[in-house]
Amino acid sequence: MLLEVRNLTKVFTTGLLKRREIVAVNNISFDVRSSEFLSLVGESGSGKTTAAKMILKLFPPVSGSIIFEGKDVVSLKRLEERRWYWKQVHGIFQDPYASYSPLHKIDRILHQVFTLIGDSSSDRDSMVRGALREVGLRPEEVLGKYPHELSGGQRQRIMVARCYMLKPKLILADEPISMIDASTRASVLQLFTKLREEYKTSVIFITHDLGLAYYVSDGILIMYKGSIVEKGSPNEVMEHPQSSYTKRLREDVPLLYKKWEGF
Amino acid sequence: MLVGIFGSMVYKVDPLDIVGSPEQPPSDRFPLGTDSWGRDLLALLLTGTKSSISIGVTAAIIALAVGVVIGVISGFKGGLTDSLLMMLTDVVLVLPSILIMMLIAAYLRERNPLFVSLIIGVTSWPWVARAMRSQMLSLKAREFVHMSRMAGLSDVKIILEDLLPNMASYTFMAFVLLMSGAMIAEAGLSMIGLGLTQGVSLGIILYWAQILESVRRGLWWWFVPPGACLVALAASLLLLSTALDEYFSPRLKGG
Amino acid sequence: MALLESEDVKAYYSIRQGYVRAVDGVDLVIEKGITLGLAGESGCGKSTLVNTLMMNVKPPLYFMDGTITLDGKVISEMDRSTLKKNVWGVLVSLVPQSALNALMPTKRIIDFTKDVISHHMAVSDSEVVSMAKKRLEELNLLVEALYMYPHELSGGMKQRAVIAISTLLNPKLLIVDEPTSALDVSTQKQVLKMLMDLRKAGIIESTIFVTHDIAVLRQVADWITIMYAGKVVESGSTSDILYNAKHPYTYRLINAVVTPEPEVRKRGLTSIPGEPPNLLDPPKGCRFHPRCSEAMDVCRSREPPLLETKGSCCCCHLVSSGTREA
Repeated sequence: MLLEVRNLTKVFTTGLLKRREIVAVNNISFDVRSSEFLSLVGESGSGKTTAAKMILKLFPPVSGSIIFEGKDVVSLKRLEERRWYWKQVHGIFQDPYASYSPLHKIDRILHQVFTLIGDSSSDRDSMVRGALREVGLRPEEVLGKYPHELSGGQRQRIMVARCYMLKPKLILADEPISMIDASTRASVLQLFTKLREEYKTSVIFITHDLGLAYYVSDGILIMYKGSIVEKGSPNEVMEHPQSSYTKRLREDVPLLYKKWEGF
Repeated sequence: MLVGIFGSMVYKVDPLDIVGSPEQPPSDRFPLGTDSWGRDLLALLLTGTKSSISIGVTAAIIALAVGVVIGVISGFKGGLTDSLLMMLTDVVLVLPSILIMMLIAAYLRERNPLFVSLIIGVTSWPWVARAMRSQMLSLKAREFVHMSRMAGLSDVKIILEDLLPNMASYTFMAFVLLMSGAMIAEAGLSMIGLGLTQGVSLGIILYWAQILESVRRGLWWWFVPPGACLVALAASLLLLSTALDEYFSPRLKGG
Repeated sequence: MALLESEDVKAYYSIRQGYVRAVDGVDLVIEKGITLGLAGESGCGKSTLVNTLMMNVKPPLYFMDGTITLDGKVISEMDRSTLKKNVWGVLVSLVPQSALNALMPTKRIIDFTKDVISHHMAVSDSEVVSMAKKRLEELNLLVEALYMYPHELSGGMKQRAVIAISTLLNPKLLIVDEPTSALDVSTQKQVLKMLMDLRKAGIIESTIFVTHDIAVLRQVADWITIMYAGKVVESGSTSDILYNAKHPYTYRLINAVVTPEPEVRKRGLTSIPGEPPNLLDPPKGCRFHPRCSEAMDVCRSREPPLLETKGSCCCCHLVSSGTREA
């Protein structure tokens, strides 16, 4: 088992005197195998992004455990331990603009990972160029440019190129294609498939788009208000939903081949 | 905007020393007349302006240094460090700075420009710390910081490479505002007699003008020029900060 | 007679480097009683087009050429004050893309309504209140919402209230620009239902629905027009566009849509290589040719003509030359 998440919980407290608690993630548990595509589906406020950030060790859970290849992730404290983890488990975020520091050239996003993989400087340039080619970009076109000089699609591909350099075992992709034009989405999705074929990379897609989840994943987890309300293969979830939330979601998603009643 | 700034800024940094010529107050041979001791007011004004500006800059640097360091550490670390540093900041914020300045100033018999800068700097950093902290907090949550974190960069590297550069515009504006405030504070201190004992500044000129009752006696050439200078300097700095704000905001949003 | 007709409409943005040809020669016809879906990717000009269609054109956007006839009146020749008095809100109403964020947080919905109405009609406050209440009731919305502040309402409620208010003066044409993109699917369905109800109740005659989400259009639109790089590439009934598209861009765009249906899984997702062109200097000839796998020589040099067959139209050399069956 590649990743085991057990009873993961995150509570945010606000206020000094009158403390208010928001349970963002409520006791969720699931497993991820290698070469598996899993989708964590939920609307805004469902806690899916918070769960992803905890798995990425960007902030600590209040309780629960995250076990990666048998090791307890939450207890990893030293920088070398954390670096080891981030080489195996990496993240891609939704907004291809906010993922870049506006003041730095995009090369930095790629060169940063050498902290994790450490290569002699002679190889670095060719590694970066090779990764850019893998994702369908021409290195001459994007290297040396600032984020605002490139399109959303290009920026998102560079993020995937970063993963190509790391060859992680697990990627958490938070809405990786929602801010890209429809006509280029499929090609970015294919990049993930390529990673799986070549390196057995698993991907957890965090998305609100049930269609995407159904199309690309082996398994779907539906989150609502911090809890997982549905778990199963895409067919199971669409054809035999267990929770009322899933049923409602299924009815409210606009479809191409069927028309809503009364419309 | 820029024309307005340079038009009203009196940056005549002429290293003219006090020309002490013993004369009573007329206003022909000396463009700005003389004061009651017969000193050339134009010379005084020029030296004083230079001095006020340098006090402003020094005090601003001191306050900025303290404020940025505290704000950045507080915002980045969070938790207990944050709470403690913020409590300290609040305490200093609440202390009546004028009284503190008065106490320190009264205690030091000889007050040169550096001391005055120090006094002002040490009492004006709290709002800077708070502002830097809130900038830090909001930047910390931006995705590009997550990306750097996941690349395994050490905390120090993240602060230096990602966070501080993106706060640069904010820091610059804080500096401009601090400088403006410091110059006025210096004038204020001087007017109550707790300013410089060595050297000249716009505030000191006003102080002398005041104790020798130039207003009542109609010696307008004594107090109007330094006052106008002070106002012009402060106003032009504020205009500068507004212009900077306009310049930086769209750049930060989308390049 | 159609409700709205536009002929060779051109609207460009003037920037330092030149003109951005956001809308470059668009012919459009909107009949009475239909919902037209205007679809296309970001930057294709659809938002600019709908603003231009109601002559809401302000520098740096300039109306360059063309004629627009709305309800028999040639609005492209009217000046701004006539438009404000007789057209906007009265004949046509636009709910723009960021309508939700445009509400003043310190004004209640009813105050916002009074502001809007007072621009057009001299009515007393109490009349406005009764008009608003009546409209909300007709649409099954909570009347109490009128007395709430924007932050007290949910996103879906706000959007429906804004749309309802924009119909108070009974415009014949309602234009909504990405009304549901920021909402979750269930709220989206409520808003879409309300738009249907507006038509069924006869409050408005026709709707233009601007969006990039084709699945939504499939549910609400009778007629779909596809835009690319400032031009219309294809227009037809919803079923024609979805199942019988002629323009290469159209059917690739349809096949790039992903919904949780087994049919989608079976057909797979298509992607189009390259990216939409820069409208400062669009490609010569057919604007889609750099990305079209079926481009012929003529596509690179001459702009394709509009070919109309049984009401639907298509701008493609392949179609007009008979290379593909129309």
